[in-house]
Amino acid sequence: MANENIVELKGVCVSFDGEKVLDGLDLEIKDKEFITLLGASGCGKTTTLRLIAGFLDPDSGEVIFEGKKFNGVPAYKRQVNTIFQRYALFEHLNVFENVAFGLRVKKLPEAEIKKTVSDMLSLVNLEGFEKRRITTLSGGQQQRVAIARAIANKPRVLLLDEPLAALDLKLRKDMQKELRNIQQQLGITFVFVTHDQEEALTMSDRVVVMDKGKIQQVGTPKDIYNEPKNAFVADFIGESNIVDGVMDKDFTATFSGHTFECLDKGFEPGEAVDVVVRPEDVDIVSKEKGMLTGTVTSVAFLGVHYEIIVDIGGFKWMIQTTDECAVGDRVGLYIEPDAIHIMKKSEYSGLYGDYSSYSEEMDHLSENSEEEE
Amino acid sequence: MNKKSFGSRLVAAPYLVWAAIFVIVPLLMMAYFAFTNESGAFTLANISEIGRYKKAFGVSILYAIIATAITLVISYPMAYFMTKMKVSSQRMIMIIVMLPMWMNFLIRTYSWISILANTGLINTFLQSVGLPKLKLINTPGAVILGMVYDFIPYMILPIYSVMSKIDNSLLEAAQDLGSNGPSRLRRVIIPLSMPGVISGITMVFVPSVSTFYISQKLGGNKNWLIGDAIEYLFGMGPDYYNVASALSLVLMVMILLCLAVMSRFTDDDEGGVIV
Repeated sequence: MANENIVELKGVCVSFDGEKVLDGLDLEIKDKEFITLLGASGCGKTTTLRLIAGFLDPDSGEVIFEGKKFNGVPAYKRQVNTIFQRYALFEHLNVFENVAFGLRVKKLPEAEIKKTVSDMLSLVNLEGFEKRRITTLSGGQQQRVAIARAIANKPRVLLLDEPLAALDLKLRKDMQKELRNIQQQLGITFVFVTHDQEEALTMSDRVVVMDKGKIQQVGTPKDIYNEPKNAFVADFIGESNIVDGVMDKDFTATFSGHTFECLDKGFEPGEAVDVVVRPEDVDIVSKEKGMLTGTVTSVAFLGVHYEIIVDIGGFKWMIQTTDECAVGDRVGLYIEPDAIHIMKKSEYSGLYGDYSSYSEEMDHLSENSEEEE
Repeated sequence: MNKKSFGSRLVAAPYLVWAAIFVIVPLLMMAYFAFTNESGAFTLANISEIGRYKKAFGVSILYAIIATAITLVISYPMAYFMTKMKVSSQRMIMIIVMLPMWMNFLIRTYSWISILANTGLINTFLQSVGLPKLKLINTPGAVILGMVYDFIPYMILPIYSVMSKIDNSLLEAAQDLGSNGPSRLRRVIIPLSMPGVISGITMVFVPSVSTFYISQKLGGNKNWLIGDAIEYLFGMGPDYYNVASALSLVLMVMILLCLAVMSRFTDDDEGGVIV
């Protein structure tokens, strides 16, 4: 049962006003898994969710639910429930009636409704809130009502559209754990949408990285982090140095003017590739012992480690190290074979991975995240 | 703090003066006239006179209720379908709804005379196709039609504006929870558009119950409304100001009572939009 696909998307295309939002998307969602669609805004992740929910039909391709074609089946007939980004709670109803909404629509007996609602409210730790008005609840409480309302209908699949985006950091962390617990407790499939890579990695069984209406990679959080398929995934998930290289033969690659031993194989001899080295996987050594040598151009102390930028032949590497360096130092870099990950060239090659503009990028990012929280 | 509130009081002063002169003083004068006789002595005689106008009161309320109900039945679906249209079409219909409001109220009512009259548009047409003439003008129906026609924008506008603000994600949420079209209408759209309905009803009922011009032009002399009585009495000269004021006062109290009852329906502490 566990390996059965509950939802399948086959060659799904969607365009709005002539603009392709989803471009031939194929995705299989397994029963009872926690799968996360991860991508920047506009990558098509919410559109994918709306396809499964039934708010949208694809221009071409198939949406399959438990082996049956679902195209054209309206949302209210699908055994799928959604938690909306802004919760979409009914302000004209109190907490009890919000949670009971779907049950009342189904015209279940009053006693059953009462029991289900109180079970759901205790599941989300909102006992005693039955009579409260929605407007008197905090964001976190509203979030819980939205969860209770959706799962009260016992959906086979729960769709979550960036449900934590509006919460502050602390609450978000708590809710991440709680959602994960609820998912395991109920044993239903969760399809979670987020732009937050950390959230995706900590919560999911599998992560679907999306960009430009296409799936870039599907895999477990570990796979995605350790074996990114292309420069986009490598850059989007965590920090990466992505340099041009050549695969001389199996287990040997040359980049930045040095030939390295690595663990990758299966490329044409002499094939041009993208090489990913994570900043935490580089050791700083004396310049005599280094495989590569470069000049430190910036040092930032982050508590756990230093984040230094090293210029190697014009390409700026980011390195996380506990060794103290000073700007202007000549240092050597030592890279273990298992720290090197080789990727095929893609449309994203050369777009990411250099930290020349690093400081500005960082400022920009931190400003944004402050605004959000 | 004090300085600031003095400043804001200063800014508000013209409005207070305006409100005093044009709202409070007339109301006090009306109350004064209602409870005094021609020589200015206190009396309840004017109030007891009102018994003679029972029928006009009854007819006014009845017509106003019917007119309000008809306007609501027309406006609600119209507002609903408007919100489903393209934005450009919504604007277009909005203009069409508002357009008559830019024309003089008297002219609009007069034009109905030429449509409904015995020799008017409709009857001329009926005759030309060999059908018998209908008695349209000077009937209760004509009066109610006039009310509906004149006041319908005041129903459509508030309902439309409340309805168009209903977040689409709420409808999607309802759909997501298993609600089909009619169920969404009943469980989400109608409850959430109630504030608009309430203010629409208020804005149509109040002018309908107190109108006089429509009934005179379209209802002949047979469909006397309370507004006509008040207008007639004031027209008779200062001797009748007292009774007329008493009638106005009672009408006003009645309207306020209606509003109070209506606002009960919007039990919302924040959402109660009563114009």
